[in-house]
Amino acid sequence: MASLIGSYSLSFGLLFSVLIIFFSLRNLKDAEILDKKIITLTFIQFFFVVISFFGLIISFINSDFSNETVFNHSHTTKPLFYKISGAWGNHEGSLLLWLLVLTLFISIFLIKSNQQPKKYRIFTLLFQQIIIVGFFIFLIKTSSPFNYIFPTPNEGLGLNPILQDPALAIHPPILYLGYVGSSIIFSSALAAMVTSYVSKEWAKHIKQWVLASWVFLTLGILLGSIWAYYELGWGGFWFWDPVENVSLMPWFALTTLLHCILVMERKKILTSWAMILSIATFALSMSGTFLVRSGILNSVHTFANDPERGLFILIFLFTLIFLSIFIFIFFHSGKEKIENNFFWLSKETSILINNWFMMYFLSVVLIGTIYPIFLEVITANKISVGPPFYNKLILPFLIPFLIAMAIGPNLNWVKSDFKDKFYMMIFLTISFLLSALIIKQFDINFLINTILVTSAFFLFFSTSREFFVKRFRNLSQNIAHFGFSLLILSILFNNIFSNEVITNLKIGETFTAEKFTINFENIEQEDEKNFKAIIGKFNVQNLDGSSDILNPELRIYNQPNIITSEADIKTNLFTDKFMTMNYVQNQEYFNIRYQVKPFMIWIWISVLLITFGGSLSFFNKRYEI
Amino acid sequence: MKFIHIFLIVINILNFNLLKADEIKSENEIAKNLRCLICQGQSVYDSDSEFAISLKLAIKDKIQQGMSEEEIYSFLKMKYGEWILYDPVFNRNTYFLWLLPILIFLAGGAIIIKKFYYKK
Repeated sequence: MASLIGSYSLSFGLLFSVLIIFFSLRNLKDAEILDKKIITLTFIQFFFVVISFFGLIISFINSDFSNETVFNHSHTTKPLFYKISGAWGNHEGSLLLWLLVLTLFISIFLIKSNQQPKKYRIFTLLFQQIIIVGFFIFLIKTSSPFNYIFPTPNEGLGLNPILQDPALAIHPPILYLGYVGSSIIFSSALAAMVTSYVSKEWAKHIKQWVLASWVFLTLGILLGSIWAYYELGWGGFWFWDPVENVSLMPWFALTTLLHCILVMERKKILTSWAMILSIATFALSMSGTFLVRSGILNSVHTFANDPERGLFILIFLFTLIFLSIFIFIFFHSGKEKIENNFFWLSKETSILINNWFMMYFLSVVLIGTIYPIFLEVITANKISVGPPFYNKLILPFLIPFLIAMAIGPNLNWVKSDFKDKFYMMIFLTISFLLSALIIKQFDINFLINTILVTSAFFLFFSTSREFFVKRFRNLSQNIAHFGFSLLILSILFNNIFSNEVITNLKIGETFTAEKFTINFENIEQEDEKNFKAIIGKFNVQNLDGSSDILNPELRIYNQPNIITSEADIKTNLFTDKFMTMNYVQNQEYFNIRYQVKPFMIWIWISVLLITFGGSLSFFNKRYEI
Repeated sequence: MKFIHIFLIVINILNFNLLKADEIKSENEIAKNLRCLICQGQSVYDSDSEFAISLKLAIKDKIQQGMSEEEIYSFLKMKYGEWILYDPVFNRNTYFLWLLPILIFLAGGAIIIKKFYYKK
């Protein structure tokens, strides 16, 4: 029943797109004010998608296996929370979620933009409707979440256990808020070009949307990364996996756009660039969906490989890109007033430098992700592009980037000179000495590591000082930049100080390493609702006499029958202790992986700080970037 | 010559523990740079699949045989193809992969400089 309602309201939703487009076009010709009817219709459309979405969730809650999506991804013994999150933990449901957010955002846009010119609002709505119609058709034609199976199966196939996790349950919705937020930026940029509204006012208005999408995208990436850290059991938080990259690319574009908009809201310069970035951000979000959904990428996330779907998104994506290129060429006048006046040393230049490096990082990730696909198609050679590639191309460029980031925000607009040369020299010296001292303790490449850590420390000190100098002025930006320095420092230290051991142990055995001994005490069995758990008890004795009890788990899920390994992590402010265990086939040994990972929690904290900084400027104009 | 040999052996024995630690370190280093071919986007080091376990043993063997890191990589490349290496080799197939980002960086710099140059 719920599926049926969901299915029908989806069709009704599509019907409303037609109505909205019709009334918008009519409203475009006459009348000075926006027709109230349009807003009402948009809300009704949103309402229908909400009903459809709830229909799916209710089918999941009731374990209605006559619905194909529920049958494929749920099971009666699954806890309620994961039944609900299972609704978007699959291809069909996640697209419905996309659509939900699309319609939600255009409704919010219409309310929030009442100060803006009518024509611009209607065009934004029209462009957004093109995207919405595309998604409606995509859902209904190729991936309907409401397909009916007869006869009704008694039991579902279950949700992949590694997806049964709180962080992953909220990861897609948050990430999609970021992705889909970029659709509003896209539509509004096109509308601004068509109605010649590319101006400071537009920049001020769209900045809110850029910020909001950016905050959600950052949080979404963070959640995914946290999930990968504790669920995939290898103790890393970023692997340059294609699917991670795909979420990082729009992030780079959006971050660049955010900085570019800051210039644009003061002066009408860099307009063409801002337009290109707005289009690129959305195109990257869409191609992310395409790459993940089409199954082209070899990754943990590919849960649907269907060429028909891939083809549809590809055609849809190209249509949108051609449309935007067309509008860009024929409607956008790149002419900027003589205002294009700023000097070498100014905030504008430093933002340009930010844009420059960001684009470079983006291009590294983009090329690294798609090059192997093209190479395979053209020459049938399969190559892998992994962490070493990204490290080699990104790390050296991070150094000037961090230094520019430390200096840039202190400069004035238009023309500036180096202020506080004294402090800068002092900070640089301290950073260098500190880094050299730390790096010397370790048997790693001295030169590159010292310089890297030095530049990160330099940014750290400079941004820390600004809290005192500027106080509440630019607080938002300052917190975000400070958070970024903390992030880079934590990542570097995490890499340098990490200590890990992999060994095979029997119950009762002890493993002695340089800095600790691991004692495998015993194992216990527990029965849970949808899995059996084998819990190991390990006692880790550290050199300083302290000891930790770690209880990694093996879980044997009943539906689908999959064994997963759950890490046990002891977190404190300075280090994470991370342990996983695995079966060794046909032996009484268990494979134990124990890692000591310093500053792990600071990676999460610093990303939270970055997003906190970004969201701060919503609440108080004074803190604004 | 003989003297050097003996000397080296003595040093080796003295440094045995150190060497052992080094061996494990480079073993891990190598395993991290290899794709686990039967897994979904995991390195050999991170994976506990049978393929990864046997490959780790093979790497250990090769190191003990005295093969250098480079030799091990090229051996594995011969056996499993380039797909296994996470660090793509710089050759005809990958010129663009390595150089295109750098070219884009240079082009970006050129555009910024041009913007200033034109003004004056």
